[in-house]
Amino acid sequence: MATRTQSTRADHKWGMVIDLDRCTGCQACVIACQSENNIPLNDQSAFLDGRAIEWIRVERYWEGDYPDIKARFLPVLCQHCDNAPCESVCPVYATYHNNEGLNVQVYNRCVGTRFCGNNCPYHARLFNYWEPVWPEDLRNQLNPDVTVRTRGIMEKCTFCIQRIRRSTRGGKQVEDQAFNPACVQACPTDAMTFGDLNNPDSRVSQKWEDERAFRVLEALGTNPSVKYLKQVDAHA
Amino acid sequence: MALTRRQFLKWAGVTGIGAVVFNGCRVPDHEIQVQSPVEMPEDLVTGRDNYYATTAQIGAASEGLLVRVMEGRAKKIEGNPDHPVNTGKHGIRAEALLQALYHPDRIKHPLLRIAKGGPYRRIDWAEGIQRLTAIISDRPSSEVLLATPLLRGRVADVVQAFADGSGIRLQGFDALGCESVTREALRQLYGQNAQPDFDIAHASYILNFGADFLGTWINPTHFSRGYGEFRQGDGRSRGRLVHIGARYSTTAAAADHWVYATPGSEGLLAMSIAYTMIDEGTADSDAASALTGGAGARALQAFAPERVAAQVGVDAHVITELAHELADKKHRPALVMGGGPAAAQVNGLFNMMAVYALNALVGSVNRPGGLVFNPEPISGRVSSSSLREWKQTLADMRSGDITAVLVREADLAYGLPGALDARAALRSVDTIVSFSSFLDETSELADLILPCHTPLEEWGTDEPNPGPGYTTIGFQQPAVNRFHNTPGYGTLSFGDVLLQTGSQLGLPDMPWENMREAVRALAQDLHAQGRGSVVQPTFAEFWKRTLERGGWWDTGATADGSRPDLPALPTSAPADSSADPNRYPLHLVPFEGIGVGAGQYSHLPWAQSAPDPITSAAWDTWVELNPHTADEMGLKNNDVVIVESATGRTIRASVYINPATPPAVAAVPMGQGHRAFTSYAARRGANVLDILEPAEDAETGAFAWGATRVRISGTTRTKVVPKLEGIEPARQLHGEELIFVHKA
Repeated sequence: MATRTQSTRADHKWGMVIDLDRCTGCQACVIACQSENNIPLNDQSAFLDGRAIEWIRVERYWEGDYPDIKARFLPVLCQHCDNAPCESVCPVYATYHNNEGLNVQVYNRCVGTRFCGNNCPYHARLFNYWEPVWPEDLRNQLNPDVTVRTRGIMEKCTFCIQRIRRSTRGGKQVEDQAFNPACVQACPTDAMTFGDLNNPDSRVSQKWEDERAFRVLEALGTNPSVKYLKQVDAHA
Repeated sequence: MALTRRQFLKWAGVTGIGAVVFNGCRVPDHEIQVQSPVEMPEDLVTGRDNYYATTAQIGAASEGLLVRVMEGRAKKIEGNPDHPVNTGKHGIRAEALLQALYHPDRIKHPLLRIAKGGPYRRIDWAEGIQRLTAIISDRPSSEVLLATPLLRGRVADVVQAFADGSGIRLQGFDALGCESVTREALRQLYGQNAQPDFDIAHASYILNFGADFLGTWINPTHFSRGYGEFRQGDGRSRGRLVHIGARYSTTAAAADHWVYATPGSEGLLAMSIAYTMIDEGTADSDAASALTGGAGARALQAFAPERVAAQVGVDAHVITELAHELADKKHRPALVMGGGPAAAQVNGLFNMMAVYALNALVGSVNRPGGLVFNPEPISGRVSSSSLREWKQTLADMRSGDITAVLVREADLAYGLPGALDARAALRSVDTIVSFSSFLDETSELADLILPCHTPLEEWGTDEPNPGPGYTTIGFQQPAVNRFHNTPGYGTLSFGDVLLQTGSQLGLPDMPWENMREAVRALAQDLHAQGRGSVVQPTFAEFWKRTLERGGWWDTGATADGSRPDLPALPTSAPADSSADPNRYPLHLVPFEGIGVGAGQYSHLPWAQSAPDPITSAAWDTWVELNPHTADEMGLKNNDVVIVESATGRTIRASVYINPATPPAVAAVPMGQGHRAFTSYAARRGANVLDILEPAEDAETGAFAWGATRVRISGTTRTKVVPKLEGIEPARQLHGEELIFVHKA
């Protein structure tokens, strides 16, 4: 059996930049994520009970009053923080930081204390209150690369780690933009950019330094791997 | 206890040996490292995947797709990077095609009902086609109607050949008329039969009237590709977007400036802008002269800002500012767009003529960054019939002039306004045959159901409308074998059913054995041209490469650019004939669901669960009201209200207080209120189409679905609107803002 080597994996530091000036809140990223990651169907009761699971969600914020009102969108996913508050509170080490900058969730270690969800300032962690159920025919669409999570454990965005693994397996060098998480791949306005922050020539590295870049709740010192580019507003 | 020397040595020995032994037995460090099960061992063998390029017509939209297939099952849909229209991206509805394929409520084999209202029994395809053939041949062809959705590409050719050969009536159905008014305006102004493209990516300024082109209008994925570049494209300055509309839509939210105009007055506003530009000498002089019949601004003086301001509901100085912005040379190229509710008015054609004429005044006709003409399509198209035509068709059903209805995914019983009672008209015909894979409201009335494939299972082509400015043909191939495949039963391709039936009827001009052969015949024509994106010496190689790329396109095959002289614009506005505002004080603004559209996609769980971007609501119907309007009526969030139009018809829905809703507006999403159409759609919310007045655009007869006024009354009930909002605390924090903006 081949063994995992630290050196090949540590070459990467995955990160994402989301340009809010391009984002229209269209939800394409939300549904693409649900398709790729076998997220349970969010039926009506999931919304009514406050139990809808979206690894990436689009939040809408109002500013001003009618008629001078403005809706602003903020796609929120796991920020893969370098100083992740979720990691230190897990009593069973079900969540940890790997050497590629990913905040990883080990499903079969999780015992469902929900401490991590409670400690995540971005509300990016979601709990499976019920066993996920798909009608028999719809199970054909499930992605075989992604574990279906059972009742009683936490789940969250993985930056589509299954795509990362497929592309970098065996220490294979990948070109910038050779693959993308499902949300980035779908985004019709190219608002989302994903890549290796260790590669100074990558598109994400260049956007990382943009003058409009900011992190959400930066004062908390969580040091996320996701940055946003401010929406441009002549009336701000 | 005293410890003797002997005991000490014995214990020390045991401990030492134990330490050595257990140290040797302990689990190696790397085996207790925490490891995610998704971090697969390097040598884990996963299934082998294949990607198939195909294309799908999704309502008016067209997207080139890549389908990931493992072990014969489609697993993921993604945009085809090669396809010129969506260049690697895709929307919600394309993603949800997977759920159409594997839907648990699909009809799995042909069904026959012996008596009206009785149960269905399973039959095989041979009997089904035999019965279909008999239904057509046993009556005069003029008594048979074939109703389809909008169709393009090879299947449209087959449908047209079938209708022509058999002499039956053919009508396209789209609940909203699919921008037929917009297209008629563009035809009258610029002589274009093919919808011009909107070059959003290269525009500096966009003035948009009503069309939610980033949310639901025509082809949002295509338009969003341009929008991203419009905002932050490399090597260009940021574009400015102004949106005129009655609802705060996805496009309104994206705009730099949103202006509410009274529904139906968009044409007045556009004419007023035109008047101002011509009067101030900032418009293209040739276009200004042609559009005014040589009379100049004088011809349009009835539209001076101060004269129309009250009717439009926009201050005169704001209209003047809009005209100055549009005329500003810094804003070149400027693009003017319009459609959706602005076109769906009793004066819809007037509105769209006024809107699209502005492009001529700023020199943006068939220019980069403006309207870009498209060449005529190679294949046929089945377009949407007008509401006026559908009213006549329903009358013919009632009178017995139509005795058989063949229907393919044209849900007349759900999608036509309730006042027309299409359901009763359909009940009065002798025979209904449905080709749908799902039991929608119209199929529920059918005597014979011949279930057809979903897009991932069949052959075809699609020519996007609008295309990207040159001939583009997406090739559709089966990414997977048919899912319901019992020999003799299961589903079949719609085109194949018509070809087989045509063969039995002995129809001429249907030379193809099946849809694959029809597509190959088109491919042979393209191969013979020796140009375009795929050029190969042999047809076999051309066929392979074209399927691999997902289609064929020819950047050199553009429109010739010729256009007739501009017509003169009207000098006065047509009358607005909406209901009494005193009895019905609110404008009803129906809008398409971001996923479910006007109800065509309500059977797909992902389409249902995609939250509306503005309200975050899903799976239900709600009524958006301005906070002050709701307050005056004593209503609060989740109160169930009765919405009544002048037709006397009502729906019930919960209130959603939306701070961006104009005070005179009640906005209600379409797509719910199905009686049938699978367990994901049925008995959920209310169908707002049911209460719309069956009003028409005076000139084209198109459905004026944006022209209904309503009144709202409260009930004692409450019902919570299912929504994402509130599940997570999405609000700005005092002292630590979540979102920042960059001052331009």
